[in-house]
Amino acid sequence: MIRTVRSIQAIGIATYKEWAAYRSHMAISLLIGPVYFLVQYFIWHAVYQDRETLNGFTLEQMLAYFGIAAVINYLTFDFADWNLQMLIRTGKFVTFALRPMPHWLFALSQKIGHRSLGFWIEFVPIFLIFQFVFQVDIMPAQPLWAVATIILSFLMNFLINYCVGMTAFWLVRAEGIRRVFLLLKDISAGLFVPLSFFPEQLQKVLFFLPFQFISYVPTRVFIGDYELAGIKLSIPAIVGVQAGAVAAMAAVTLLLYHIAIRRFSGVGV
Amino acid sequence: MIAAIRSTAACFWAVMRTKIAEQMAYRSHFILSVILLIAGDLIVPLITLLVYRSGATFAGWTLHEALLVQAIFGLAKGIAFPLFFGMVNTTLGLVREGTFDLLLLKPRSVLWMTMLRGLDLDDFGRLLSGGVLFGYALSGIDAPSIAGWLQFAALFAASLAVLCTFALLLSGLLFQWVGSSRVFDIFDSVTSFGMYPGTIYSKAVQQLLTYVIPVGLIANMPAVALLGRGGWETLGAAGASVLFLALGLWFWHAMLGRYTSAGG
Repeated sequence: MIRTVRSIQAIGIATYKEWAAYRSHMAISLLIGPVYFLVQYFIWHAVYQDRETLNGFTLEQMLAYFGIAAVINYLTFDFADWNLQMLIRTGKFVTFALRPMPHWLFALSQKIGHRSLGFWIEFVPIFLIFQFVFQVDIMPAQPLWAVATIILSFLMNFLINYCVGMTAFWLVRAEGIRRVFLLLKDISAGLFVPLSFFPEQLQKVLFFLPFQFISYVPTRVFIGDYELAGIKLSIPAIVGVQAGAVAAMAAVTLLLYHIAIRRFSGVGV
Repeated sequence: MIAAIRSTAACFWAVMRTKIAEQMAYRSHFILSVILLIAGDLIVPLITLLVYRSGATFAGWTLHEALLVQAIFGLAKGIAFPLFFGMVNTTLGLVREGTFDLLLLKPRSVLWMTMLRGLDLDDFGRLLSGGVLFGYALSGIDAPSIAGWLQFAALFAASLAVLCTFALLLSGLLFQWVGSSRVFDIFDSVTSFGMYPGTIYSKAVQQLLTYVIPVGLIANMPAVALLGRGGWETLGAAGASVLFLALGLWFWHAMLGRYTSAGG
């Protein structure tokens, strides 16, 4: 157990240092994040010109929703799918198949290192810009539950992306499938618009899919109340549901990994 | 002159044939990519639809009028992306690998070769989504006048010039900022201002988006022309696109001059 933790730590630190060499690539988020938010700022100000609320959101809550979703994305961002597919397609996965650690754990350790760097370069400055320049209240209503939901969102995003990445064990070029799935995931996670904007029947479907736990749930936990498809849950209850969903997704991922790894064949890389 | 045009056309056709053959080797992937591009381009219209469905509006714009802006944006991308934006990928990949030198050795303009190498057939799919949305948006507004269509044609050409300039700026940037695919994120974020009716922005921002970073020219001004809300003076804004294009060409060549080969 201690050896595993040390391995995770070592891989995380190595990834942190590797990406720190390309920190300008990450730091460009300081331009992109606020620019996207500025567009949202104008859109929603225009939409709320003649109304107080829209689908249960006031203007302040709507801006907070997009601000919070953006900063949470910097903490949970993931590209395990792309990385795994690249390793399988190029045959480089063979070196991981020989290591005394499952690749999913290696990838998770890499993500921890990558996002630790993202925390300083992306999350902290953009959080401060949103809070003090745009004056949008993105402070969590219940900080401890906010930390819990972000950790769970971090894991859920990784698990879903890793499962998408594993399609490469069956398909020659899985890039198209990956992009289709990620697009659906982003829509269903509430990244583009709060899920409460969707038709009632669709909201009911979205409630039972795992995607809401990536962005919609943590954002609502930050705001301090949760509602989807007419279902209202307290913050501890929805975080509990999120924990259950993450556990179920982890089981699915491990099962898929067990089946997928048997299909891999690498040639003299 | 005729010989030069023939030579240019021959180059273009030769590359297109190769690209088509390349895509046909992975047909299912190609079809999936096109479908995905179409779906991706319909996200912003979907959000607009959801907002209007909730009873809210952009003041002074009906749903069809707001969708017209986004449809024109899609059409402009459907032409500009396959033709111009491939050169961003070309510069990104070749400069990183140190093989951009090969383009410098070709007996044609380096910019033309960079553009040709980056031709991307998938992106023509955007024309389909943009076209369908354009037809839908037009069906819900009064038929534009002949003058409106003429203004639209001139402003749409300006829109393509603006997008071409963005491709030049991003591609040029990659000679120095080696290997950063995040230039596409910069493009997406900056041009997202152009996907909504211009009147949602303050006057100062509207001026900025017309004359300084003319993303308002990509879709909003052509839409305004079709809706008959713009006078002929809006064509003056098209002049900004010409200056912007000149800036892009100068920048690209200046950055090419700073390119230092990896000596592969």
